[in-house]
Amino acid sequence: MILPNIPEAAVWAIYFAPLVSFVAIVAWVRRTPIWSGRLTIAAIGISWLLALWALDTSIGLDGEPAQFAPHLWFSLFELDVHLGVRLDGLSAVMMFVVTSVALLVQIYSTGYMRGDGGYSRYFAYMSLFTMAMLGLVMSSSLLQLFVHWELVGLTSYLLVGFWFDRPSAAAAAKKAFIVTRFGDFAFLVAVVLIWTKTGTFDIAEINELAHGMSGAVLTGFTLGLLSGAAGKSAQFPLHFWLPDAMEGPTPVSSLIHSATMVAAGVYLLARFFPSIEAAPGGVSTTIAYVGGFTAIFAASMGVVMTDIKRVLAYSTISQLGYMVMAIGLGGYVAAVFHLFTHAFFKSLLFQGSGSVNHATHTFDMRKMGGLRGPMPITFWTFVIGALSLSGVIPLAGFWSKDEILLDAWGHNKFLFWVAVTTAGLTALYMFRAIFLTFFGEYRGGEAPEGAHGHAAAPHESPPSMWVPLVILSIPAVFFGLFAFADFGVLVEGAIAPSLRHFEGVHTESVVLVASLAAAFGGIGLAAAIYFAGRPQAEALRQRFGPIHTLIARKYYVDEIAEDGVIRYGLDRGLGRALAVFDGRLVDGIVNGVGLAARRVGDAVRRSQTGQVQAYTSLYFIGVVVVIAAIFVFGANVLER
Amino acid sequence: MLTLFILLPLAGAVMVLMLPQARAHEAKVVALLFAGAAFAVSIVAFVLLDRGAVGYQFVDRFEWIRAADAGFSIHYVVGMDGLSAPLVLLLGLLGTVSVLVSWNIELRAKEYFAYLLVLEAAVAGVFLSLDLIQFFLFWELELVPMYMLISIWGSGRKEYSAMKFLLFTLGGSAFMLVGFLLMGFSAGTFEIAELTAKAPTDAVVPLALIFWAIMLAFLVKLPVFPFHTWLPDAHTDAPTAVSVMLAGVLLKMGGYGILRIALPILPQQAHDSRFILAVLAAVSVIYGAIITLQQTDLKRLVAYSSVSHMGYVLLGVSAMGALGLSGAALQMFTHGAITGLLFVAVGLVYDRTHTREISQMSGLMHNMPLIGSVMVIAGLASLGLPGMAGFVAELTTFLGAMPSQPAATIAAIFGVVLSAGYILWMVQRVFHGPPSPRWAGLTDAGTWWERTAMGSLVVVILAVGIYPALLTDTVQAGIEPIVRIMEALA
Repeated sequence: MILPNIPEAAVWAIYFAPLVSFVAIVAWVRRTPIWSGRLTIAAIGISWLLALWALDTSIGLDGEPAQFAPHLWFSLFELDVHLGVRLDGLSAVMMFVVTSVALLVQIYSTGYMRGDGGYSRYFAYMSLFTMAMLGLVMSSSLLQLFVHWELVGLTSYLLVGFWFDRPSAAAAAKKAFIVTRFGDFAFLVAVVLIWTKTGTFDIAEINELAHGMSGAVLTGFTLGLLSGAAGKSAQFPLHFWLPDAMEGPTPVSSLIHSATMVAAGVYLLARFFPSIEAAPGGVSTTIAYVGGFTAIFAASMGVVMTDIKRVLAYSTISQLGYMVMAIGLGGYVAAVFHLFTHAFFKSLLFQGSGSVNHATHTFDMRKMGGLRGPMPITFWTFVIGALSLSGVIPLAGFWSKDEILLDAWGHNKFLFWVAVTTAGLTALYMFRAIFLTFFGEYRGGEAPEGAHGHAAAPHESPPSMWVPLVILSIPAVFFGLFAFADFGVLVEGAIAPSLRHFEGVHTESVVLVASLAAAFGGIGLAAAIYFAGRPQAEALRQRFGPIHTLIARKYYVDEIAEDGVIRYGLDRGLGRALAVFDGRLVDGIVNGVGLAARRVGDAVRRSQTGQVQAYTSLYFIGVVVVIAAIFVFGANVLER
Repeated sequence: MLTLFILLPLAGAVMVLMLPQARAHEAKVVALLFAGAAFAVSIVAFVLLDRGAVGYQFVDRFEWIRAADAGFSIHYVVGMDGLSAPLVLLLGLLGTVSVLVSWNIELRAKEYFAYLLVLEAAVAGVFLSLDLIQFFLFWELELVPMYMLISIWGSGRKEYSAMKFLLFTLGGSAFMLVGFLLMGFSAGTFEIAELTAKAPTDAVVPLALIFWAIMLAFLVKLPVFPFHTWLPDAHTDAPTAVSVMLAGVLLKMGGYGILRIALPILPQQAHDSRFILAVLAAVSVIYGAIITLQQTDLKRLVAYSSVSHMGYVLLGVSAMGALGLSGAALQMFTHGAITGLLFVAVGLVYDRTHTREISQMSGLMHNMPLIGSVMVIAGLASLGLPGMAGFVAELTTFLGAMPSQPAATIAAIFGVVLSAGYILWMVQRVFHGPPSPRWAGLTDAGTWWERTAMGSLVVVILAVGIYPALLTDTVQAGIEPIVRIMEALA
């Protein structure tokens, strides 16, 4: 609109800039860590500027796709694999989100990671992650998307396991990768299936062809996508890797566990929204219920966590459930809009928790308290993020959540009430976290690693950390207003005109009242428990003892998955059985054949005694047998 | 030129043996020179190969045994096409790498390097032979150096493992020889090109029997469940260089034989067997991966993963279409590079820790960041991460196999989850975690030969992964004739 349309090369440059900084860090800069950070920030800064240009272009096109021809990557018989960039409303918004959050997180990281031995390695991984994530959202082909999807998984593995000398971090990284790979298995089947049925990987073509496809194929394909999305976006039952992934450095969570990687699953479903719409109705319903269940299920766990970062992790799972549910209910715009606003305020909240950790050296809220005084900037920005997340009017989270609730109200009343309950729980756990962390008396924190004695008094974080907090609180407050600025038109440009049904901002009084009642109810309940002691937290805990235990133990999903399925089912059960089978039976037969050959040889060898008497006697017996045969059968017996 | 590729390592072996005992330590230098020269030849051949032309190129041919009155003669024929070119290139590279990783060998160094070079020449003969009898001779020749290398320079139950390897291969190749002779006598020629052009229509025994006799040898070599148990033993007890050669190129002799001989000469019989092959493939992938998860010995783990990954080759074969066969051919190359690199890294770790028990190791990333990073790269490539060579091959295989063998393909795709499991579990146990005082004194890979061995394979894996067109046109040229034969059936 303001600028001329962005050329294709500039769109590619958004992707290549962080790749260049990755290669440069690995090849040259790693010995001077300070430059690794600066280079990463510069590269992502360039990407951000170009992404703004791309967004501007896309707004000018009303979100309709810009025409960029794809390039041949390789071809093999009938398989032609192309790489291309797709610029439309959806990808432009995603590029803007990814580069904006990534840029702020990198700046924040220069403060948070200061003095870490792996400073250069950290920024190299961050550059690689940003490249992969940008590649994911701008791919014009499903295969290209899948490639970057896996690269995002890889960089997440590297970043979550960044402090690999901590056994818990190494285990969490592995768990994240393997659990998401379970989802990716069905995703890859879907990719292979759709190619064998359509002969193309092009996303736009697949979405067009979806209408003429057989229901079975389309069901298989879209459920495969859902499986991939459930892995990446931590939807039930593949959600349990995300809380463990909090073992990574906090800026990592701020980038990949709020705004980017975990949003990729929602992005995937949004990208293939036309295919999902064309699929038999059961698919949409499944998606909606998976999302809705995940939302309330994760929110319930957020209420009992004592680790501030895990509260945020469950909150993310819950909010992603909201978005997935919206897709299933046909609320394409609402899902993308919530993804958009959530990215900023959740990134803000994660950075806030990191700032708190910087001061107290712990994430355990039971050791915090009273931080409102020494850390005013962190406190206020955290409150802004929490209000936005809780859906308090007029902050960003209110508008996007309201749109999802509207879609639910229109399509599925049951899921609507599930979502409203979730909203109440969200407000409850967020303000519980705020009261425990920032109010009351300081409970001492923890001594920093390597230091002796007690921690120093908490203090505000350095500017490299609080400036991003302040900047992020701006979108957390205001970005909801984009709803009035044709956000829907922009994002709907990415899908076929026949599927567009966004009618602009409106609301219904029931939805509005329910949503705000849930938000203020949750906040009020948290305040009542914390300040008035009524109902008493301890009394509640005892009253709901078994339920509390069930929730605090995360519904035993980790135990079922890790112990039940992996350890006893696969490892000790099937695995050990097959190992025994392999060693005893398969190899046993081999050794048995060898042994048998030896025994037969031994047995036959006995006859070769070398004794002339024995040979002569045998010879004589033979002669007798032959003569007897001639007598019995006649003289021509030997000639036959 | 191709004859040169066979003769260079052989000449190197002779030169090494002729070194005076006092200069035995120079054996490795001589070996490196000759292996490097052979590698150079393989690069030249790969680059010069005309991808547009039909048939074999750089052919050297002369009559070797003449028995005109018996109705046949045996030729020495070598030639290359798009099917063998990548494998020859891989052999040239791994032949050089295997000399590099043997740089520390002191025990009977002259003999060791001579055997290593003979091994390379024998495998080269298998990949280049275009006559069945000649193919068989090179196939058997490879056993001699392998047996010696494992039983003399190996570790653990090395005699047992060497003998097991020998007997398994001999058992298979006995059937193969019978099959070759039956085919050759019924068709009146042993030349692969002629046999391919006019498929034998009858023989004294049913052709299906001949097909399975030949396949048995190839399936043992690949190896496929239930003929795989020689592989982990041979790998575990073999010296590093031999493991690299074994995983990198020797297993490919099986897959190559299927694509070069079994399918083109007996297409109908192959077509009839494809369901059985697909089942064997899927079982190998899943079964191999589950057994891999149970391994506690680092080298055995990588060895069993080969069983799983070579299952993909058979899966591609069982599809019998253009993409499946291309996937199989690609997978042979990429698995050779990736698993070769895994064994190099495992060998370097073992050189330092003198144990292969995973439970004994921890936090090695602190002492050896370079070896650890290379192991992570090779491991990620092995688990099929995009951007690395293995992904392209596996994807092509899946795309090719899905239409005709959907169930086996989906099972095989599940293998990628299991491979992520065993690779990451291994990395976590061996390299991650706090530094262990027991391994405090260990050093990273510092010498030029260690770095070159690892670096060259990393470059190949990334190059093919990022730009698969480096290989795909060659593979397409090699697979096209087979596809035409298989399509003529339908």
